[in-house]
Amino acid sequence: MTTIVVSGKGGTGKTNVAALIVRIISERKVTLAIDADPDTNLAGALGASIRKTVGDIREGFLDEKDKLPPETDKQAHFEYRLMGIIEEGDRFDILAMGRPEGPGCYCYVNNVLRAIIERLEGNYEVVVIDTEAGLEHLSRRTVRDIDILLVVTDTSRRGLETADRIRKLANELNIRVKQIYVVANKVRDEKDREKLKNMAEEMDLELIGFIPFDEELAELDLDGKPLTQLKDSSPAFKAVKEIVERLNIM
Amino acid sequence: MAEEFPFDISPMYEGERVRKGDMYVELGGPNRDGFELVQVVDPDEVEDGKFTLIGPDILDMKEGEAYPYGMIYKVAGEKLEKDLEAVLERRHHEFQPYMQGYMHLNQRYDIWVRISKDMVKKGLKSFEQIAKATMMLYKNELPFIEKMEAIYITDEEKVKEELAKAMEIYKARDERARAIHDEDVDVFYGCTLCQAFAPTSVCVVTPDRPSLCGAMTWFDCRAAAKVDPEGPNFPIEKGECLDELKGEYSGVNEKAVELSGGEYDRIMLYTFMEYPHTSCGCFEVIGFYMPEVQGIGWVDRNYPAATPNGLPFSSMAGQAGGGKQTLGFLGIGIQYFYSPKFLQGEGGWTTTCWMPKALKERVLDAIPEDMRDKIATEEDATDIEQLREFLKRVNHPVVSKWAAEEEAEEEAVTEAAAPEEAMPQMQMLQPGMMPQMQLPAFAPPSGGAAGGIKLILKNANIRVEKIVLKKKE
Repeated sequence: MTTIVVSGKGGTGKTNVAALIVRIISERKVTLAIDADPDTNLAGALGASIRKTVGDIREGFLDEKDKLPPETDKQAHFEYRLMGIIEEGDRFDILAMGRPEGPGCYCYVNNVLRAIIERLEGNYEVVVIDTEAGLEHLSRRTVRDIDILLVVTDTSRRGLETADRIRKLANELNIRVKQIYVVANKVRDEKDREKLKNMAEEMDLELIGFIPFDEELAELDLDGKPLTQLKDSSPAFKAVKEIVERLNIM
Repeated sequence: MAEEFPFDISPMYEGERVRKGDMYVELGGPNRDGFELVQVVDPDEVEDGKFTLIGPDILDMKEGEAYPYGMIYKVAGEKLEKDLEAVLERRHHEFQPYMQGYMHLNQRYDIWVRISKDMVKKGLKSFEQIAKATMMLYKNELPFIEKMEAIYITDEEKVKEELAKAMEIYKARDERARAIHDEDVDVFYGCTLCQAFAPTSVCVVTPDRPSLCGAMTWFDCRAAAKVDPEGPNFPIEKGECLDELKGEYSGVNEKAVELSGGEYDRIMLYTFMEYPHTSCGCFEVIGFYMPEVQGIGWVDRNYPAATPNGLPFSSMAGQAGGGKQTLGFLGIGIQYFYSPKFLQGEGGWTTTCWMPKALKERVLDAIPEDMRDKIATEEDATDIEQLREFLKRVNHPVVSKWAAEEEAEEEAVTEAAAPEEAMPQMQMLQPGMMPQMQLPAFAPPSGGAAGGIKLILKNANIRVEKIVLKKKE
């Protein structure tokens, strides 16, 4: 199993990039897409809708735990609940992490969820995780080791600075990350490319590819339409496909 | 032996999911009835190896559809007892997923099974093969099962009918499980799940005392310890019962030293005022002793306002939590209110004076009927004065102690306070909360020295880490 995490500053289009990656990889690999951004947009970008999230199960447990029969195997119970919230598609499945924790004790429930999610992931060849720049689920170890961390940036310096911070955070959190790359998104021209290349070099970040600004994608985005409708011939799709090939996981 | 089956059987397939696209049929699950039941019966009621199917078989089913599913097993053996049914049934969720291409989730009346297309392609034709493989695993792993037969049901009406009967059996089993008490077992369990936040916490989970966070029962810990012996749950041999009323066990004390890193060496499970259970940070409810009324108040995480002692949940949790043993404070799980050992050392519910209304309503059926009207909520009292008034009005059992105490107090002014029991490691929290703290209740060891003092702290705001009182040289 290969775990790919897609992160980045808000507004850089990381969810769109994650959605395209899922679309491309799932053509050949059994893929699980995990939406670890509390904003949960990944499903929409993939043309699916989320009914319930892991957060809902977690809160639900706090309410129902006293009502379960005394000898209930709670891990088995959670596995059942978790299976029930997976959006199953033909090519890929989607799991949404949902809202962050409220007050109360989550030691037990997180411990169980960690084990279950790990088992679930084992059923897929590739797991793609869309997460916000704070890496909340990574810090909580609902996700453990990462094979590839892709940080999406736009053409702003701040986007790259976030990339740098994410790299440091991953280090501090002691998450094993095998490879880290920066993906430049919404790139308009050669000037942008040059600028990004220089900044990346300066921060010692490895740029793995440029995704051009794409009118068709922007329009789908504007209308709230899923990126599954984006044509294979569109510049953004072609660029993401090249990036995926470079990752050497297919 | 697995060769006779057209599918592979191995523990390595545990955790395997059959995705919708790869699924031949779904059985039970969120949209159909489903259940599994193991029954221990007399040997002459079982025909060993027999399989019965009521309803359509696998190849009669339409690909991609969901069907109801009931699996009943009858087992017999000289060493088998009715009490083992739940244990045997639990293994079903372990054995069935050994079959490659067969997804089995959960237990009892909430099962979710999927059979993969691949399994059918490889030669699976009938539920008989599934049942035979399952029975083989049972008999291999549990040789004390001498005879076993299986009845599988896929007919909708029949599943409903048998499920209703099974529900009665589960219910009876639950009642038996709830009837297990601390004195019926030799082993309690420890839990270190929250030690990251509460490094000295000694969480002891017993049949009569669920974990403070409310997430783990004795049954959960037992199951977890079995699955992962190196994990956060482990057995604690009860050892000798040193104090039946207050719940002191030699095994718990020994383990307390180890778990708390030497911080604590005595834990009493059913009391508040003497070597109480440590409070982690995860507890659902915190109890607080109010010396002014000589009673206890309880407040849960959801009640944001201050309690009659002037402090809200968060302040008390912050000070008493973190794995400390704090005299006069106790973090608990909500289910502990239902325990027959609930504050046994203090006379159970008779010392409880105050709870937030929502909490009181939630656990109302745990409160003895004669105490229900005697426990104040925020509607009756929000400070100590109002609480005193309320308790007097309803003639709460603690009121009878007040008169006795007042007499004792007068004596204490002139006479020595001779404490009977030593309480080392006592931590006092903001003495301001206890404006009239009297020594007999919280006395350091004095070795019965003559001559005494009376300390009255009024509205004090002192933080004391430790008080050392020494006999004059």
